[in-house]
Order: sequence, then structure tokens, then C-alpha cells
Amino acid sequence: MKEDADWTLVRRCREGSREACDQLVLRYQKPVYNAALRLLRNPDDARDATQTAFMKVFEHLADYNPQFKFYSWIYRIAINEALDTLAARKPFEALTEEEPDEAAGPERLAEGQQTGRAIEDALMQIKPELRTVVVLRHFMHLSYHDMGDVLQLPEKTVKSRLHDARQLLRQSLLQCGTI
Amino acid sequence: MLAPEQLALMHAEIDGELDAAGRAELARVLLSDPQARALREDLQRVCRALDSVPDVEPPRQLRERILAALPHSSAVRRASWSAGWRYAALIAGVVSAGAVVLETVRGPAPAPSEIAGTMGAPAGALLDTVQLTAGPIGGRVSSYRTPSALDLKFDLVSSAPVDVLVTGGGRSVRVNGLGSRVGLPARVTLPGFPADAQTVDLVFLIGGHRVGSATIRAAAKP
Repeated sequence: MKEDADWTLVRRCREGSREACDQLVLRYQKPVYNAALRLLRNPDDARDATQTAFMKVFEHLADYNPQFKFYSWIYRIAINEALDTLAARKPFEALTEEEPDEAAGPERLAEGQQTGRAIEDALMQIKPELRTVVVLRHFMHLSYHDMGDVLQLPEKTVKSRLHDARQLLRQSLLQCGTI
Repeated sequence: MLAPEQLALMHAEIDGELDAAGRAELARVLLSDPQARALREDLQRVCRALDSVPDVEPPRQLRERILAALPHSSAVRRASWSAGWRYAALIAGVVSAGAVVLETVRGPAPAPSEIAGTMGAPAGALLDTVQLTAGPIGGRVSSYRTPSALDLKFDLVSSAPVDVLVTGGGRSVRVNGLGSRVGLPARVTLPGFPADAQTVDLVFLIGGHRVGSATIRAAAKP
């Protein structure tokens, strides 16, 4: 079971095994990076937020309580890190929001379908707290219960935010003819 | 206008959380209300579009950078890691990927205020100043040498945040979010910058687009 495997890796990592730390990075770098990318849009910011999130995870590994799911814990740290990055650049967001990010890497070019672009645009137009629930639900495929754990919010609030977010995305995607 | 509980039924259906009673209620609403049918279809399309966005592979160097910033095994055993490593990791975090050498800063970690964005004047000897007069960025960049590092002081004025790629001595650092309408200065310290490196190349980016470049001396004139 994945959670057991996580806990085994965490214990070995705490005991000083770099291999176990490496395994944790391998296991979680992709979902953490993707969550950061969807929240921040900028690949460089997403990369830095992912790295900082992992450093915080390893720094506080001794504080992790195995009664809770490891992925909820690491996702919480990653989401908070991405939101902090977002908050730090907020004063400038209005200046850059309208400009498409042409500096994306090859991975973005491969991904670069119009729908994907329109979704990214629409996501960036909604509030970060709404964007976060969309990311957790549709990109990280978490249940309402797990989303509540990650965000430390009641499921009811998570649902309400997700519904609001979908409504706003609907308006935006209808407006640009994507749906 | 749909009642919130009817809207909630649609979302629950999308999320596969609708029970039999909910399904029956939703069917009744959809049968009697064409607007509800249209809205349900829209929401389903939104969610299909969201679910169709593919995952992106993280940059190849990300894992290496995370591992490079970890302490060695003896330090890993400590329950709580020193803050110094965090700052070393932050420095590593701005070393950009690409053809340049990726390097983790080792040795004494700099104070967080030394990384970027501070407003104080560098303490080292002034080496060079470059004035930026053309293009969308104005102001100047100055380089200073201290015994252990190279300091760059950015006094930039621009209408949008400026990112700067700093390359020299086999290293590359990206500094994000410099410059603004009010033009606050920012200082960037590059610890361990090779003493024999003569120049540093600066590439200025706005919104990810290259808008200018400059070269600044990193060593005193012979």
C-alpha cells in the first residue's frame, strides 16, 4: 500500500538514508511540480516552489505524524509554498497577466493545445483559493475528504469553493469559445 | 434560476458522489428545466476540459537540485535541519537550468537578506557600473567585490517586473522580479564567485521575453 511505502521511506529518510530521500523526491516531484505550475503558471516559479517545498519537507520530516497521510502533508506544504510565491508577486500580477508566457519550455510546447492554454488563462483569472481547489480536484485527483485534509478546511467549504470555481471557469471558457 | 441545492446535485453527479435519491431529483430538475440541462452540459464540458490537461514532466535537473541541497547523511540524522541549509537551497534554487554548470553553493550559508531584494549598499569595492538607457529598462547595475563574493546592485526602473539572468564564472543565476515604477534598488550576492572571472553577462527579461543585455566587470582593472 502506498501509504505504508511512504512511511517506510520517511522512516529511512529520518535515519539518514539519502536513497530513501531520493525515492520520496522521485515519487512526489511530479504531482508537486504540476500543482505549483497550475497555481503559478510560470515554470521557473513552479520549479523553485517545488524545490523549496521539498526542502521544507525534509527539514520538518521529524515533525510528520504518520497518523495522517504523507501525501496530504507534502501537498499541504507544496500548496502553501506556491501560494506564498503567488502572494509575493501579487503587486505585479496585473501587469503580466495579460501577456502570454512565451518563455515556456518544450514541455509546454508539447502540451500547447488551445484548450490547455484557454484553461490556464481561465484559471489565472480566478482567486488563488478557488484555483487551489480546482488544482487539487482536477489535476491531483484528490477526494473532497483529502482536499479538506490538505487545505485544513471542512469538506463543505471545499465543495462550495469548487462549485464557485467551476461556475467562474464556465463563464470564462464560454466567453472565449473553448466550451 | 437554479436553486443552490439543484446546482449542488450537478456538481455531485460530476464528482460521482450522487446517491439514488439525488439522481432521481436531478433527473426531475433536468426534465423540467432546459436551462438546467444547458448548465449541466456546460459544467460537464468544463470538467472534461480540466481533466484533459496533461501532466507536465518536471525539469530533469529538479531532482538533482533537491538532492544536492540536502545535507550529507550524518546531518540527515538530526531531527531538525539547520536553517543554513535552507538558505543554501534557496541559492541553489536560483541557479538556472540549461547549458551552464549547475552548482550548489557550499560552505557558510549567506544570510537570507543577502540573496536578493535588499536595499542596502554593498560593502565591497566598486568594480564597474553599467548604465541602461535604451529599451524598456532604465537605471544602472553596479558590481562590487568582497573577499568572499561578488555583489551586484540593481537600480532598475521599468514598467513591469524584470528578471535578470546573471552568467559568469561557469555559473548562472536567475533573479526574478526586479525593477518597478518606483525603482527600488536590489542587491544580489553571489557567494563563492570565482576570483578569476573577469566579466558577468546580464540578460534582462520582461514577461519572459529578452529585452536587453549588458556585460559588467567582475574583477578590478589590471
